[in-house]
Amino acid sequence: MSYQGKVLRIDLSTGKAEAEDLNEQWARAYLGGKGLALKYLYEELETGINPLSSDNKLILMTGPLTGTIVPNSGKLAIAAKSPATGTVLDCSIGGSIASEIKYAGYDAIIVEGASKLPVYICIEDDRVSFCSAKNVWGKGAHETEHMLSEKYNQAKALVIGQAGENKVPMSCINTDLYRQAGRGGIGAVMGSKNLKAIVVKGTGSVRVPDTRKFMVAMNKYKREDTLTDSNLWASEDGTSMLVDLANNTGTLPTRNFQKSTFEGHTNINASSIKEQLKAKKACFACPLACGNYVNFGCTEVEGPEYETLALCGSNCEIDDLEAVVEFNRLCDDYGLDTISTGNTVAFAMELAEKGVHDFGLQFGSVESYLKAPGLIALQQDEGKELSKGVKYLSEKYGGKEYAMQSKGLEFPGYEPRGSWAMSLAYATSDRGACHMRAWPIGEEAYGSLDPFTIENKAKLVKNQQDEYAFKFSAIFCSFWALSADVQADILTKALGYEVTVSDLYKIGERICNLARLFNQNEGFSGKDDVLPDRLFEDELLDAELNRGPLPRSEFLKMLKEYYDIRGWDEEGCIPEKLIADLGL
Amino acid sequence: MKVLAFHPEKCTGCQLCALACSGQNEDQFNPRLARLRIASEYNDQGINVEGHTCDLGMSCVEACPTGAIFLKNNRLAYDQEKCTYCGLCIDICPNKVIVRKKDSIGVCVQCMACVKWCPNEALTIEEVSN
Repeated sequence: MSYQGKVLRIDLSTGKAEAEDLNEQWARAYLGGKGLALKYLYEELETGINPLSSDNKLILMTGPLTGTIVPNSGKLAIAAKSPATGTVLDCSIGGSIASEIKYAGYDAIIVEGASKLPVYICIEDDRVSFCSAKNVWGKGAHETEHMLSEKYNQAKALVIGQAGENKVPMSCINTDLYRQAGRGGIGAVMGSKNLKAIVVKGTGSVRVPDTRKFMVAMNKYKREDTLTDSNLWASEDGTSMLVDLANNTGTLPTRNFQKSTFEGHTNINASSIKEQLKAKKACFACPLACGNYVNFGCTEVEGPEYETLALCGSNCEIDDLEAVVEFNRLCDDYGLDTISTGNTVAFAMELAEKGVHDFGLQFGSVESYLKAPGLIALQQDEGKELSKGVKYLSEKYGGKEYAMQSKGLEFPGYEPRGSWAMSLAYATSDRGACHMRAWPIGEEAYGSLDPFTIENKAKLVKNQQDEYAFKFSAIFCSFWALSADVQADILTKALGYEVTVSDLYKIGERICNLARLFNQNEGFSGKDDVLPDRLFEDELLDAELNRGPLPRSEFLKMLKEYYDIRGWDEEGCIPEKLIADLGL
Repeated sequence: MKVLAFHPEKCTGCQLCALACSGQNEDQFNPRLARLRIASEYNDQGINVEGHTCDLGMSCVEACPTGAIFLKNNRLAYDQEKCTYCGLCIDICPNKVIVRKKDSIGVCVQCMACVKWCPNEALTIEEVSN
């Protein structure tokens, strides 16, 4: 079967690295990826630890399909307790690093403790070396990755930029230059361990029970299920195609969520990006290749992705694509999450507009905007305060009602007043406001469901959360819209024992509850499933939309329904019986 | 005679070709076990796409001291019994697409798995004169 059966445990405090057996019982109950990473985290972390202390752990988890020829199976889950929110945190990163871990012989790498001096780890099969990072510490993620790939031929690396080194709560982990584990300050966890990079090269392999049969079946899925109309948007335009769709449906965050359409959207949409497209780039084993490498001569990036175009473009009222590309490149190189960074910059712009506090940032003004990533990552001047994110800023300077965050994580690029179920998705996401736990906007504003009713939406969000949870544990990339039946069939063929659709839904439910339980133990409950007042009190300023706020009573009704469907109590807590039933 | 041709402008670097080659010929997955080498990687000049496939240049056939690698029906063939595993073929192959294994080597036999798996027609099989 397609697990390797080994976990590599690295203790940076002692310089020890040892392989141990994968907990097979947990692997059955949580598959891999997100689920299994969270299980290890839940079992191994003490409650109440400081996420930036040596007590936190960084868990890199592959899935049972990683390293095989299954389309879109190239992603890696990275988990830790979040420095941004104090919640559980798992991120997903593409590129080619996940398969290297598997080929090196491991399903997972768990990094514990903290190094006294800046180091990077190099893993070549069963050889683990701890190397001084003094030549790369203080350098950007891009230069670091170039230097490491030159030194270690054919190896892949996870690296942090200066933001991670400086423990910025919106810092990310990079690989293949432009692929990120972005949210919740996962880069700061590496930085707090004095760990600049993890280099991996694997010369082993991954096996499945019947390779020939497996390949015939997977090639058929690739042709008939992956490279089909419902997924080809990814190769055609990539996520930038959402700019027009979001603008046309009134869901494109603009001017710090004051508006949801953007006059300049045609300057930052898919066709504008296409004009600068130099090459398409895929993650490992992905036939869709959503990556757009654009180069303006003076700046370049793989992207920008929709979230960047929304948060760092329209939300800051920047319609100059070259400026957005440069902002994106700076964030990637410094190692900053573009969602939280763009959202925070836009919030600071509104603070200035309202005369609350002046961080030197104004809507639509490119010069100061392009300075922000550097100031934030390097902790200089105003950047030191900005780096702490909108929750902190709003509590210190004001503007709580328009601080677009939940549980301390900044909103991604979807306006909930134009797609009501997104409010529930943000409020109940395990790591704070997130579009990768449920994405009901795909069914509402972008699909055929009425976006302005809460009817059946609690169930929709609950089901999507469960579905995303097992899909990210298998691991499949979210851009292949494959059914649970197909997932079950692929897993069965790879593992050599039957995985049913009902197993998958059970696994998904178990994962969502485990994440909730982690947060519950940390003191989170229904009181934290809250959203900023702007959504409930402010009309969107786009005159032509004539769109009012989301009625708070409707949101609360939907939230209560959601708790009921989940089997949680009125405070949004998981009852003992459910904890026992799910085997948590 | 037909040979594999690589079209870098169509390649996205997904490695499905190399995965298919290793699965088909080695019964396991790792692109390093493939009888072709494809890379699409960023360097400080931007993106660099490179591909190496067997062009039937025959240097391995000519170099093999025991005739373990030979041409059969216009494709390479390999006879493990004759192979002394000297490694000369691996060393001499200008494209570095011969796989070194424990007690044998692997040459491209034009099984076409890579061509079948490439989602972008970046690999094709084309007629060339002998």
